[in-house]
Amino acid sequence: MRSNSKNTLLKVVILGDGGVGKSCLMNRFVSNQFDEHSFHTIGVEFLNKDIELDGETYTLQIWDTAGQERFKTLRTPFYRGSDICMLTYAVDDKSSFKNIEMWRNEFLNYADVKENGQFPFIVVGNKSDVPVEEREVSQLELETWCNENSITSCIETSAKSASNVQEAFKMAVQYWLRLESRADKIDPGVNDTVDLKKKHSDNRSSCCTGSSE
Amino acid sequence: MEDCEDCEEIFSQDGVLLKQAPATHITFVNTIGTLYISESLNSNKKRFIEWKPNDITVDSDIQDQEWAVVNTIQKRTRTLSGNYPPDYQNRIKCIKLNFEDIKSFRIANKSRQISFYDGKADCLCIFGFQHGSSDVLLSILKRMLRVSVSKRDKHLYIVYDANFPEFQQLDRSFAELNIQHDSRTLWSVFKNLKDHPYETTFEAFSKVTDYVYRSPEQRDLDDVDRENLNRSISEYENTTTHSQGDYEVVAKVPERKDFPRLRPLSLEQWKGHMNSEGKIEDVESVRNLIFRGGVTPCLRSEVWKFLLDYYPWSSTELERQKLLASKSDEYYNMKLQWKRMTKTQEDNFTDYRERKSLIEKDVNRTDRTLDFYAGDNNANLQTLNDILMTYIMYNFDLGYVQGMSDLLSPILMLLESEVDSFWCFVGFMNKVIRNFDIDQAGMKDQLSNLHTLLAFVNPQLANYLDTHDSGNMFFCFRWLLVWFKRELSLEDVMRFWEVLWTGYPCENFHLLVCVAILETEKPNIIQNNYGFTEILKHVNDLNGKLDMAVMLNKAEGIFYQIKESDHLTDNIRLILGLPLLQSQTSYGSHEQSPFEDSAELSNGTQPCCSVDNVRISPDEVAYERSINSSFL
Ligand SMILES: Nc1nc2c(ncn2[C@@H]2O[C@H](COP(=O)(O)OP(=O)(O)O)[C@@H](O)[C@H]2O)c(=O)[nH]1
Ligand SMILES: [Mg+2]
Repeated sequence: MRSNSKNTLLKVVILGDGGVGKSCLMNRFVSNQFDEHSFHTIGVEFLNKDIELDGETYTLQIWDTAGQERFKTLRTPFYRGSDICMLTYAVDDKSSFKNIEMWRNEFLNYADVKENGQFPFIVVGNKSDVPVEEREVSQLELETWCNENSITSCIETSAKSASNVQEAFKMAVQYWLRLESRADKIDPGVNDTVDLKKKHSDNRSSCCTGSSE
Repeated sequence: MEDCEDCEEIFSQDGVLLKQAPATHITFVNTIGTLYISESLNSNKKRFIEWKPNDITVDSDIQDQEWAVVNTIQKRTRTLSGNYPPDYQNRIKCIKLNFEDIKSFRIANKSRQISFYDGKADCLCIFGFQHGSSDVLLSILKRMLRVSVSKRDKHLYIVYDANFPEFQQLDRSFAELNIQHDSRTLWSVFKNLKDHPYETTFEAFSKVTDYVYRSPEQRDLDDVDRENLNRSISEYENTTTHSQGDYEVVAKVPERKDFPRLRPLSLEQWKGHMNSEGKIEDVESVRNLIFRGGVTPCLRSEVWKFLLDYYPWSSTELERQKLLASKSDEYYNMKLQWKRMTKTQEDNFTDYRERKSLIEKDVNRTDRTLDFYAGDNNANLQTLNDILMTYIMYNFDLGYVQGMSDLLSPILMLLESEVDSFWCFVGFMNKVIRNFDIDQAGMKDQLSNLHTLLAFVNPQLANYLDTHDSGNMFFCFRWLLVWFKRELSLEDVMRFWEVLWTGYPCENFHLLVCVAILETEKPNIIQNNYGFTEILKHVNDLNGKLDMAVMLNKAEGIFYQIKESDHLTDNIRLILGLPLLQSQTSYGSHEQSPFEDSAELSNGTQPCCSVDNVRISPDEVAYERSINSSFL
């Protein structure tokens, strides 16, 4: 269905407790930089980044929000129209791992997605570079949780050492593609993509409404 | 309610939310229903508006969904035109407004809301349109009632009373009027009407009716004038049709004046205003000087304590010395409360633990690029942390909210004293406390007020934003939350804040600064045809590119433009803390100058919502829905 000339825009939302490294992951992925003392996020930010997969180009529009509960009403409107949701915790922070479930539920609640089980979630355990003695969540715990919640994609990353960051985003797109090809078979009329070239003739397409027909 | 079997439905629209109703129907508020216009088939041919609830009621969730009431919109349930649904007999549920009782109505919320008034300052009903808009209804009302747009408020339509003789004459075509001399006057009224429709309309109609009423003699209009008059009437009608869109035609604001910035308040000026006891003599003029130019850096650490209500403006040097001692005790008392918390206490106190961890994380990410906070194990980071921790003990209900560390950081950097910084931070927080509301209501109000101001000053831009999913002004969130802390350099942010803390020249001046910046960015936004995402990005990227002095200069110009424009609404007056027209005579409480009390003035948010003796525009109430409908 997708021709090579098309550039597919995918909206990715990164969620997780404050301080787990969402903004650092985004900056590492987009500009391959890591700033240990960057500001905490206020409001909503996003960055675009092209990614190649099997000869096709995807533009990821990555949305980063402030994690504090107080700003819930501010961030939830941005969940709508997401194609991919990255649930993030820090491996040296057990409670951020426990909150993954809360984040998934908040996302499902506001994102307006078609079928819960079918949405491409990817769970990312960041700060894998920390010394073993500071680690509070093991890889095994991560995999167990994902199995129990039928999420097939999970990965440990380090925004600091650049380990697995590209891979995490690739993995997410691959998962999205798998679900997408399945959805295409069921309903060939559904097309989640937005042609970026049309962007300026149609306001809504520039507004990250990836899945709103 | 009278029986209505014999009536004909002229119009119906479904998905109409009852937002305000007479006491008899209060239980139906927030219910969705259908709006009808009907005409009685009796000889009296009375027309009326009716609203009938659907059986489905709106999920009460709608309130909790806050900015995201998007998926609760009801499915369309089309009614067959001409036929009332079967349960139409259930008349008690219906609300009926006779046309003759409607004295005015007002369109709000981008044509998604209509309010009907009975002319006694009582609102009969407010309806919201869940899908579609009030446009069709409006055009029907305009056809059936003789209306004109209010001079003061372009969304307000005044209904002319059909029983008055001048109306009956007016209702015959203007061209048929028998006017002999003075037809030039009438013509010029219409010409003016054409050029400045909103300004002239109301006045023009009253002039014409007056004229007609007082001129019973037979007169002839010469042919040329008659033709002109006809043309201008039809043009006038076109104008009103176009004006259904919110911002098509508007009265102009006066020309913008230039208000140059002055030099900062100097040591000599400051000392010159103090008497021998160290008391400031002419507080107003000192504050005015600070507003005009800020404070010279070496004087800041002293003056900020006044601006942030740590030192009372009326205090003497001696009083301040005493105050310092007691404030220091108070601070260390509160600090000890958390310092003495045992490990077990902490383990059993989740709320506290969470706050502590939030603060720790944010302190590590606040202004670390500045020397003052650079490096690991920096003692200033510890002080920043301790002040914020003590602030939680001072105001546990509020807790720690992201953004607070940004507000404290420059204060600590300047004062370098833990106690003084704490109390100055408390003063700053008091001014912007509503930015940190649990439900973010204060931020929503500000975004909504910003939109109101922008629509007044620059309707074209406001209209552009509205039609590009950006009418919620969301992209200004960061500006407003921490008063441009993230967009300006340290020196600029200090200057900017001290100017805003004066509370001059009006309340919520920072919103006018936002208007000034948006206006500067208008060509970029419109020429590039930016949508919501691009606007957000563009605004986020302005960080580091704003010229603070130019912003302030422009914003002040805008303030005087607004203040001196003759179509100023009470809504705008409320936002800027200007005296209301009504309240001066009927309530008296607003007679004081808006600049009298600094604590109230510059609190960063709006007192308007709590002023319950003034009927404020329903825009506010409807904001939540607008944010959703225009959001993404
Ligand atoms: N050791 C380590 N620290 C990280 C990593 N990623 C982020 N951080 C640190 O974690 C803190 C929070 O990062 P940030 O991206 O602001 O978190 P966010 O609130 O989720 O956006 C920062 O001080 C970073 O320096 C990582 O991969 N390893
Ligand atoms: Mg962040």
